[in-house]
Amino acid sequence: MRAFIIMVYRQIKRFSRAKSRVVGMVVNPLIWLIFFGVGWSGVFKDVRVFGGVNYLTYLAPGIFAMTIFNQSFISGVSVIWDREFGFLKEVLVAPASRKETISGRIVGDSIVATVQGAIILFLTLLITEVRIPGILPTLGVGLLLAVAFSSFGVCLATRIQSMEGFQMIMAVLMLPIIFLSGAIYPINAMPWWMKLLAYINPLTYAVDGARSMLTDVDGVFPLSTDLSILGFLALAFLGIAMFAFERSTLE
Amino acid sequence: MKKASWVKATYAIEVENLVKRFGDFEAIKSISFKVRRGEVFAFLGPNGAGKTTTVHILTTLLKPTDGKAKVAGLDVVKEAKEVRKKIGIVFQEPSVDRDLTAYENMLIHGGVYGLSGVKLRDKIERLLRFVELWDFKDRLVRHFSGGMQRRLEIARSLLHEPEVLFLDEPTLGLDPQTRVHVWNYIKTIKEEHDMTVFLTTHYMEEAEKLADKIAIIDHGKIIAEGRCDELKKLVGSDVVYVRVDSNAECFEEGDFIKSCKVLRDGRIRIDVENAAEALPKIFEIAREKGVKIVEMTYHQPTLNDVFLHLTGREIRDEGGEFFKTIVRSWMRR
Ligand SMILES: Nc1ncnc2c1ncn2[C@@H]1O[C@H](COP(=O)(O)OP(=O)(O)O)[C@@H](O)[C@H]1O
Ligand SMILES: [Mg+2]
Repeated sequence: MRAFIIMVYRQIKRFSRAKSRVVGMVVNPLIWLIFFGVGWSGVFKDVRVFGGVNYLTYLAPGIFAMTIFNQSFISGVSVIWDREFGFLKEVLVAPASRKETISGRIVGDSIVATVQGAIILFLTLLITEVRIPGILPTLGVGLLLAVAFSSFGVCLATRIQSMEGFQMIMAVLMLPIIFLSGAIYPINAMPWWMKLLAYINPLTYAVDGARSMLTDVDGVFPLSTDLSILGFLALAFLGIAMFAFERSTLE
Repeated sequence: MKKASWVKATYAIEVENLVKRFGDFEAIKSISFKVRRGEVFAFLGPNGAGKTTTVHILTTLLKPTDGKAKVAGLDVVKEAKEVRKKIGIVFQEPSVDRDLTAYENMLIHGGVYGLSGVKLRDKIERLLRFVELWDFKDRLVRHFSGGMQRRLEIARSLLHEPEVLFLDEPTLGLDPQTRVHVWNYIKTIKEEHDMTVFLTTHYMEEAEKLADKIAIIDHGKIIAEGRCDELKKLVGSDVVYVRVDSNAECFEEGDFIKSCKVLRDGRIRIDVENAAEALPKIFEIAREKGVKIVEMTYHQPTLNDVFLHLTGREIRDEGGEFFKTIVRSWMRR
């Protein structure tokens, strides 16, 4: 248990140090929300397209989920970086349970990602009409989302051997996962093949859940479905990540 | 609990016919050696000899392709987890957390090894003072020099009081002054804690200054092993060159003289067991014979001569490694 706690501590401590990085990561989603959101909300005058709310409000839960997704996925995959430059070796030669250390790292990263999501959410309050009571449960959804994607990132990291592989993954996966999640436009209006991809995308359920809790938009799925699928995926990916990391070597 | 685990073996490390292949490439070609408890054992060899690979196998990070290895009496494959409790390591590549302070680095390492509380804090203070970093404990490691980072890594590796300490090129890329500093730490560790130290290096002076025993490794094979003086005997004895003011004549008195010869340039070449001990004796003989010595030089074989003798190559190849270190530290930014 000590190793788990100390790893959570490490990730949070590192985050609190990297101030410039934090600013960068908050600025990016805000640019999306403000320029993309405000820009298009001028075009979409008919609020029926977005379930009866203005586009900016529709977009807010999407940007929140997107922020957490970006942050947690990158921190999971960056275990590769740790393998290249040291800290991973430190952990691998220690007698502590590897399952414990990696889950500590994942949970620490997830808390960090959720905090960043929360910062974005509070800033969006200023320009959108999201429901205040929905904020706390939405942060819970954010945490599940973060655990799912940082675990997924760790799984990939144990498979990828190089930084080139890292860049590849980022280029091929990041944007499609965002576009196919309903974060910036509704799933219902997609052609069937895109819908299919959206349904197998974990981010979809986080966006849908957050939107149901924060706005008056009716979710694509019932809230209970969103939460149970997301919860299941988070636990499953965490389990796979722990298993994969346990077996990883330096080769 | 392992039965009789409190009975400590004579050997801290035992390696038998160890082989490591990466695909078709054989990095370790069936090596065997033993390290006694409390000994400083150095693996001396050029770049790519297989030093790091051996360290990684002994510290359970790589699985051997074939052969057996025991550390602290435990099998590194079958009892990997037990082995991990007994060892500490300083990796060749820096492995400190640059975004954390020195103190936090120590704290986290302690936590990963299950240490906590006042005991941990006391130990951290003692070790940071030992490597003279206590005054910098709250500074980010990012701002540390290479030597300071190395010292922090040494302190960190001692935190959980390992039985066997592995140091993979501990002074690689450090300036000569810092290198001497690190050597002193290693000597102190050995003397005060009776720890077994397995050291790899491609600096001869380092092996010579620190090691009780040296194995010279090249292309994945141990080509010579023994105490430093034993190894040097492989290339011959110490030589003293003497020039006298009168007619050059051989020195034959005294059984410390192995052979003697007058060289064409008029110098006398005397092969001896130990040049340092021979010099005063030669003066003595010269005085008795009534000749005056006007010039005296001597040559002792170095480990480089040994390596040259065994492989036909020089051991030094600092350029490559040094450059690699620079590139790495640049990439880490
Ligand atoms: N993971 C690996 N895959 C393939 N070859 C490797 C790997 N690790 C090391 N080698 C090769 O094995 C040889 C020994 O490497 P190493 O043990 O790092 O040498 P040293 O530490 O003595 O400089 C080198 O030729 C190196 O290229
Ligand atoms: Mg090496």
